[in-house]
Amino acid sequence: MIGAAAQETTTARRPGQSARLSVGGVLMQIAIVLAALMAVAPFAFMVTTSFKTYASVINNVIWPWFPLGSEVPQLGNFWEAITTVGWDSQWGIYLFFRYLANSLIVAGCIVAGSLITSTLAAYALARMDLPGKQVLFVLVLVTMMMPEDLTIVPKLVMMFNLRWYNTYLGLIVPSLVSVFSIFLLRQFFMQIPRDLFEAALIDGMGHLRFLISVVVPLSKPALLTVGLLNFIWAWDAFKWPLLVTRDSSMRVLGVGLQQFMQGQGTQVHLLMAFAAMVIVPVLVLYFLAQKQFREGILNTGLKG
Amino acid sequence: MRTQMRLMALLLTLGLLLTACGPAAQPAAPTAAPAKPAESKPADSTAAKPAAPAAQPAATTAPAKPAEAAKPAADAKPAADAKPVAVSNPPTTPEMVDSIDLMGKNVEVVYWHNRPQKDQELLQQMLDEFSKTNPYGIKARPEIAGASYPDVYNKVSAAIQAGQPPEVSVAYQNQAAFYRAQGAIVDLNPFLKSKKYGLSEEDQKDYFQTFLDSDINPQFQGERLGFPTQRSIEVMYYNADWLKQLGYNEVPKDWKTWEEAACKASDPAANKYGWAFRHDASNFASQVFSRGGRILSPDASAYVFNSEAGVETVAMIQRMFKNKCAVEIPTSERNGEQNRFAAGQILFTFASSSGLPFYQEAIGKGANFKWDIDPLPNGGKPAVNLYGASVSVYKTTPEKELAAWLMIKYLGEKAQTTKWAVNTGYLPVRESARADVVAAYKSDPKWGAAADSYARMFAWFQYAMVESPVAGYDPVRDLIDKEIATKAATDPNADPKKLVDDGVAKANNILKENAPKR
Repeated sequence: MIGAAAQETTTARRPGQSARLSVGGVLMQIAIVLAALMAVAPFAFMVTTSFKTYASVINNVIWPWFPLGSEVPQLGNFWEAITTVGWDSQWGIYLFFRYLANSLIVAGCIVAGSLITSTLAAYALARMDLPGKQVLFVLVLVTMMMPEDLTIVPKLVMMFNLRWYNTYLGLIVPSLVSVFSIFLLRQFFMQIPRDLFEAALIDGMGHLRFLISVVVPLSKPALLTVGLLNFIWAWDAFKWPLLVTRDSSMRVLGVGLQQFMQGQGTQVHLLMAFAAMVIVPVLVLYFLAQKQFREGILNTGLKG
Repeated sequence: MRTQMRLMALLLTLGLLLTACGPAAQPAAPTAAPAKPAESKPADSTAAKPAAPAAQPAATTAPAKPAEAAKPAADAKPAADAKPVAVSNPPTTPEMVDSIDLMGKNVEVVYWHNRPQKDQELLQQMLDEFSKTNPYGIKARPEIAGASYPDVYNKVSAAIQAGQPPEVSVAYQNQAAFYRAQGAIVDLNPFLKSKKYGLSEEDQKDYFQTFLDSDINPQFQGERLGFPTQRSIEVMYYNADWLKQLGYNEVPKDWKTWEEAACKASDPAANKYGWAFRHDASNFASQVFSRGGRILSPDASAYVFNSEAGVETVAMIQRMFKNKCAVEIPTSERNGEQNRFAAGQILFTFASSSGLPFYQEAIGKGANFKWDIDPLPNGGKPAVNLYGASVSVYKTTPEKELAAWLMIKYLGEKAQTTKWAVNTGYLPVRESARADVVAAYKSDPKWGAAADSYARMFAWFQYAMVESPVAGYDPVRDLIDKEIATKAATDPNADPKKLVDDGVAKANNILKENAPKR
């Protein structure tokens, strides 16, 4: 978004104006650069720390490698992080890979499920004439305002009662509906001209057909955005998967991070190496879908 | 068309229903304060009248060969003259416990804890051994229920509400009191005093008395709401080399000398400070204890940290920051005081003794200086803050409760407590384990001089103090940190007496709200 804003500023400039930047313009550029640096700093910290020795971490050496230092990048940290998490005797592999498999299953199901539920709910709220639609929409929004901690214990009680504790169902089902995704898609669907639906109606289409044949193809950027956001949330989830599972064989990558945060000491370099590995799929997905993702954000009224 | 409309409406309704159990958009911080406890229904209000343990109780593990393990040990059989009595749930007398028959029941026990995978594997190994060797066919298994005590608390709270608690979990004394207020955990006194399954007098004496006593809850007429399988204490870590450079040949024993040394060491321009201030109510409590004060009155009727000791603690924190002798460690900097200490930037830190192995490693890889530990400075009478959560047994069935007790008893045996202490840095719970644990530390070269420091801690147990074993202490901890200690660190002009008085008034309201209903 910052990149997009910068691009807009550049494209809005007329020929010949580039040499005469106003004070406000310069300040704006500085603010944008600072904001970009602040956004990148935690990521840079994670990546650099993952290649450091524990000694460099303890001694706060920012750049221990050539040309400022003599240390060699610690590629071994990544393997050490994998092995530190433990061994899965059931599958005969390191738990890291079991966690990875579980993360892929859980995130994949959540993305698919939330896309279906969000699309249906958003369409109904955007385009269908239902009695009490506005009240329903407000109710949906109200659930978004509730802090997760407020609902975590009741949800856990439900999982125990449904016998879904320590199952994939417990990991997946509570995340199949995302209120934010419904809201985002509703905003997008509202922009689709009503005339299109009326034309489709003349052609004999019903709501479901119109949704599948017209709305979904037109909403690819928004759907991609929803999919990506849900993937990130599912992939990064920590507390819920930790609480709703019992066996290490049911846990996901986010939970693996806790192995490096023991009560009285944190192996920061290994923690960062593990974290760096965990975010690789998110980064790959983002880079593959960034154009549509940006479009989706810009077209749903979410851009600030 | 109408059919499709109905279908869409149905799908929308389903979507909205599922929304009710959908997550919020962003993950949030851990729950801080427990809710108000439900009304207490003490099942054992008939008052346990424990008889003194006369006979030697049976060993938890059969000394026989593994092949014979399934058979009961001969001395595990009820005494011929023992008459079985009706057993209530939970059992309220040792006789009731004696009357429970576990043979052939093949009871399963699940133990929820918050240790990392490495310790989970050690626990699994120990409990596999217990499952193999106990004569009753009990099968026990540990489960990681969270990464922190609040995680376990959340999970246990949900499980209690769903009527599916584990058989055993880790719990601090105040959390145990909260569970007890809901009638969810059992008093372990009848189990401990059972002739058949309890601890012999000899065994009880072998336990460090302060550790055993720490689980007796004053809010519930002396009920034993947990049992210690590990402990640690708050100690002062100090940079011995630096202290010597400053002209101190021994570690300061009183607060005045300590403050003087800390200020002498501080050089904010070089990012060096005498003391690292952590956002932790236990840090504050340890200082109050060392000045002869208490957090809670002995009968648990009121918070009393507005004593002179509390005022002095606040005033000292104010002076330390005003004179730039201390640095605040933000909560986001996990174990920041340890890392900065290891880098040679901090002269003194106050932290748990269970951090010893981590300090050892960090200092070895950091500035690599000579360091040691000592009790916090004091006014002539040492006092140490006792840490380490206990394990509590949940109300399930008398058989499961007994099986859970036997598992705990096994974990407290000399061999197990030694193994646990050697591998985790915690303190063993028995005197008889002391020599083996210390020998193990001394034979491991990575410990160096820290092994001697570890050995010295055993002499400090006699000064152990417990912060507050009552329900609702978690919000009070939050209050102590945010409204007293942090204010002292950030506002040099605040009136120390007013800060602690206001804090105590609020804490007492919380105490009242969370007090067990009778």
